[in-house]
Amino acid sequence: MFVARSISAEHKDLIHDVSYDFHGRRMATCSSDQTIKVWDLTDDGDWQCTSSWKTHSGSVWKVTWAHPEFGQVLASCSFDRTAAVWEEVVGESLASTQRGQSHWVKRANLVDSRTSVTDVKFAPKHMGLQLATCSADGVVRIYEAPDVMNLSQWSLQHEINTKMSCSCLSWNPSRLHLPMLAVGSDDTNPSAGGKVQIYEYNDNIRKWQKVETLMAITDAVHHISFAPNLGRSYHLLAIATKDVRIITLRCLRKEPNAGANPGGMSKFEIRQAAQFDEHSSQVWRVSWNITGTVLASSGDDGCVRLWKANYLDNWKCISVLRGDGSVSNTAGSSTGPNQLGLAGTGGNFGGSRGFKQGGSGQSSMWY
Amino acid sequence: MANLKEVRDRVMGSMGRTMFTHVAEGPINALSTCRDGSQVVLAGRNVFKIYGIEDEEFLERANLRVGRKLSLNFSCADVAWHQLDDNLLATAATNGAVITWNLSKSSRSKQDQVFTEHKRTVNKVCFHPTELHVLLSGSQDGTVKLFDLRKKESASTFHGRSESVRDVQFNPHRDYYFSFASTHENGNVLLWDLRRPDKAERFFTAHSGPVFCCDFHPDDKSWLATAGRDKAIKVWEVVPYKQIQEVHCVQTIASVGRIKWRPQRRYHIASCSLLVDFSINIWDIRRPYIPFAAFEEHRDVTTGITWRQDPHIFLSCSKDCTVYQHVFRDAKRPADHANPMGLCFNVKGDISFAASEALGGGGRGKGGSGMYASTRLPSFFRKNPDPTEQFRSVNSNLSVFTNRTQENPTAMDWFVKTAENYCLTGRPLSELCEHNAQVARQLGRHQIVQTWLMLKLIFAGLGTVSDKGVVTSPSLGRIVSLSTTGGQGDLLDRVSQHNETSTVTDMQEAKSTEPPGITKEKDPSEPGEAEPKSALPQSQATDNPAHADLTHVHGDFFFGDGEGGGAYNDYDSLPNMDHIQDWTLPGEAFQPRHEIIDRNPSPEELDRPDSPTSINESETVSLSNEKFLKGTVLSPTPMNPSFLDVRLMSPLVVDMLHHYAEQGDVQMTVSVMIVLGDHLKDQVEEQIQEHWLMSYVDMLGCFKLWMVATEIIKLSYLIGVPSVGTLNQNSTSIHSNCNHCSKPLTQKGWLCTRCQKLVNTCSVCHHVVKGLYVWCQGCSHGGHIHHIQEWLRTNRQCPAGCGHCCQYT
Repeated sequence: MFVARSISAEHKDLIHDVSYDFHGRRMATCSSDQTIKVWDLTDDGDWQCTSSWKTHSGSVWKVTWAHPEFGQVLASCSFDRTAAVWEEVVGESLASTQRGQSHWVKRANLVDSRTSVTDVKFAPKHMGLQLATCSADGVVRIYEAPDVMNLSQWSLQHEINTKMSCSCLSWNPSRLHLPMLAVGSDDTNPSAGGKVQIYEYNDNIRKWQKVETLMAITDAVHHISFAPNLGRSYHLLAIATKDVRIITLRCLRKEPNAGANPGGMSKFEIRQAAQFDEHSSQVWRVSWNITGTVLASSGDDGCVRLWKANYLDNWKCISVLRGDGSVSNTAGSSTGPNQLGLAGTGGNFGGSRGFKQGGSGQSSMWY
Repeated sequence: MANLKEVRDRVMGSMGRTMFTHVAEGPINALSTCRDGSQVVLAGRNVFKIYGIEDEEFLERANLRVGRKLSLNFSCADVAWHQLDDNLLATAATNGAVITWNLSKSSRSKQDQVFTEHKRTVNKVCFHPTELHVLLSGSQDGTVKLFDLRKKESASTFHGRSESVRDVQFNPHRDYYFSFASTHENGNVLLWDLRRPDKAERFFTAHSGPVFCCDFHPDDKSWLATAGRDKAIKVWEVVPYKQIQEVHCVQTIASVGRIKWRPQRRYHIASCSLLVDFSINIWDIRRPYIPFAAFEEHRDVTTGITWRQDPHIFLSCSKDCTVYQHVFRDAKRPADHANPMGLCFNVKGDISFAASEALGGGGRGKGGSGMYASTRLPSFFRKNPDPTEQFRSVNSNLSVFTNRTQENPTAMDWFVKTAENYCLTGRPLSELCEHNAQVARQLGRHQIVQTWLMLKLIFAGLGTVSDKGVVTSPSLGRIVSLSTTGGQGDLLDRVSQHNETSTVTDMQEAKSTEPPGITKEKDPSEPGEAEPKSALPQSQATDNPAHADLTHVHGDFFFGDGEGGGAYNDYDSLPNMDHIQDWTLPGEAFQPRHEIIDRNPSPEELDRPDSPTSINESETVSLSNEKFLKGTVLSPTPMNPSFLDVRLMSPLVVDMLHHYAEQGDVQMTVSVMIVLGDHLKDQVEEQIQEHWLMSYVDMLGCFKLWMVATEIIKLSYLIGVPSVGTLNQNSTSIHSNCNHCSKPLTQKGWLCTRCQKLVNTCSVCHHVVKGLYVWCQGCSHGGHIHHIQEWLRTNRQCPAGCGHCCQYT
């Protein structure tokens, strides 16, 4: 059972984003009231606001943490057309090193956009300290801090013109594959074509190239998220549009001479793994758990729904969490025992065949 | 009937459409409509025209910029159309002239009067709302002048001593007939009485930086809105004999050039920016963060806004040489694009969820109070017909869902427990499998349990089966009894029994499989190899004493095997051993690593018992493996069918590794990979192995399981993924500066090449520090930990006197 704990956030307007840090012990919220608040988990399990400061002169759309390897660093983006990088400064006085108020300093202000910056995300750690932003006029910008110790210096490495009003982006976290970005658009005109574009970095020409447009998605996309890739051979992409979509991208073998052919792009087999319209209309957010096995989505119905694939790779709703904290586990309880039963019979280890079955039956089981 | 007509008029009025016209002459600085709003005058540096506003388009009615000599008088900074007399216009010229125009003149030039009293540009002209002949002008020269149009010169001059005047505005309310406001570049707003030019009635500092504009509220007599370069729009409550108070403040994204209250909407105000932002925003001052509506038609800075009486239609002009009519139907609603909720998983499977109260995020019974009612909420929320009333400050509720029960699919407790309790090396493979199966069983992960047991059967089990015909096989018996009882106490007994019976056979095995040469060669490395193995039981001794003993006993075997004597039989042997080896350094931490680096990674050698898969098992397995490797080629011994099984199984196991990885359980993949070690050698691409290992190490990092992560990194060497294995050896050198002369120490860490002194003496006692040395990274001073502690108890700055505020955190 999920236990809901309500936090009095005391933002003066809508909260647009919440973001956990790498270890899940800190949380940042950002709001239209132009502030960011940082929350720390106390030893008794309460969330305590340790910092709240005015960040932008417009709504702050997104806030995101950098990998702790780079320090305690946040990035935010705003309606005021800027993105900013913030670093926590360890207080000089003893009082602030104890659980008091911490101090965040603006290290960089990225002012290249001419319209609202709608999303900002740090690249996966193995790519170094890189930052991608996208803006309402359709430009995705990739910044890099060449010196990870100097957070005030960011050079604009790439500008990608997506030719659609961008609302969200997501890095592919896989270290095995080429750097990849997915960009979504909240353009409401369905005839404007696919609303999700996939870009891949081509090492040979040192450019980002569009490798795919998901033509199946023609409604406004509000959020997009790659699942953590823990050794999976394919990529999972969750999309929040008027419904929840889960897309698998399987990298097909490259052309034999991809290395010699500088324009060679990866090809993907794209499959829609799931589509749910249980949220009555718009779906606003999607988020993966750390293993990329459970997807949470939230929509206009005010609920959080959790989705999980069973052993046949059918995605099912396993839980519904209401905004007021109540939990209705109807979906979960109906499929739960069933799954258990299946897994029980799956444990047949007669021979190699049985082993395989057991292996696949496992997916429904492990908690 | 009249009533009906009114309604129709209103609807017709709001039926206007968004339209624009392009003025070829150049940018437009200002616009003003006539009384009934049917015509608009546009003024700019090169523009002075009147357009009629038709239903579908703008129609040019007159061009006032005529005459032989187009003096600077025609270069307009502002224009005002009298609201009582449709023929009367006034312009503010950039050369300081204030000019009035009479449209009823029969001549081609409509210019009426010219007042050239201001010394610099006139920024603003304003007619009195009810007096026909009264005109105000505000200029860059810092003065406001009042003109009576019946006279040839100004009636009075108001000098506020507040720098340039950016805006002047009559108070439109009858009660304040004599009152007007002026805004200044130094941030002041002055309220004047027309009859008292010597001194402002009231004044207050409204903004930091120039105040570009002000606007009296059309209905609320006490409200005055001001805006300026500080990007803020502020609403002031101005009540006689009371302190002037700021009642609302809207923070916009760029300096505000013009503001205009929206008619019939008490809380709405339109604004446009002086630079950067080309859009016109309509704000609800009760929700000062997101514009209620935005109009983004202009391609350059908007310079003027005027409402057409109807609250749904307004005109704007811009530096992009266009004048637009905007209707609310075509407005953008930024709030609709604003994400009303945030959602995030953390590593432990908690879900943080923030949602607008209006979307049921609250459960406080406030449903329908949000601004999404118009389009998104089900129909019963749509009762309230006026969306503007619903656009109010909206709050979000933040809640965190946590779940610590095992049934929860998102909780990650199993991961942490598994990572901590799994045993990946240092013991026979079958025991590792058994142990790990046990760990999984305790967590209720039956599939994993079965997998481990299967692995044991395939690799350890088959290996012993193969030996069965050749030598007596104590291992098999052990497996059987283990799986039947599983009790840890029993284990110990059994092992001690096994101890007696198997020493001989093990030695025989070793001798029979390995040529004497190799055995000898192996000898020198043994002490070093023994260390990690005997260290392991210590780490586990707390939770699992039986296992500790078990491994330890095997350690004894090893020595018995290698050195031919069972000299060390108890725990005391560990320190003894150190003593006997007479190591000068506490080198146990380094010794094995160098062994690893220097290791020749030939398969034969890796298969030898000193590989991390430990003694008993690895002997039997290495036996089978060597047979497996060489047997087909060299050894004439008849093939045992079970070898085929191992070979058949390996691809299956690799499949299984992939399967677990696909399922997101990279922990299982990596654990199996490490436990099986060389059994899977070369069967998985190194790139993929590295991917798995790094994924797992990253995940362990998420949970702060640094010890486990380090062990995995260390072990990844042994399974042949050095790229991961070197992680722990990255950035181990610390460059420091001489604490005398601050020269960076490049070659030696203890002697400065410039000052030829020993560095890193204690900054407090100036002696060489032996043992723990604390060191400030900022100024590279430091010293004995006690001395520094003592110093910092009473001081904040560095003891060396460098002025640095040292931080030891």
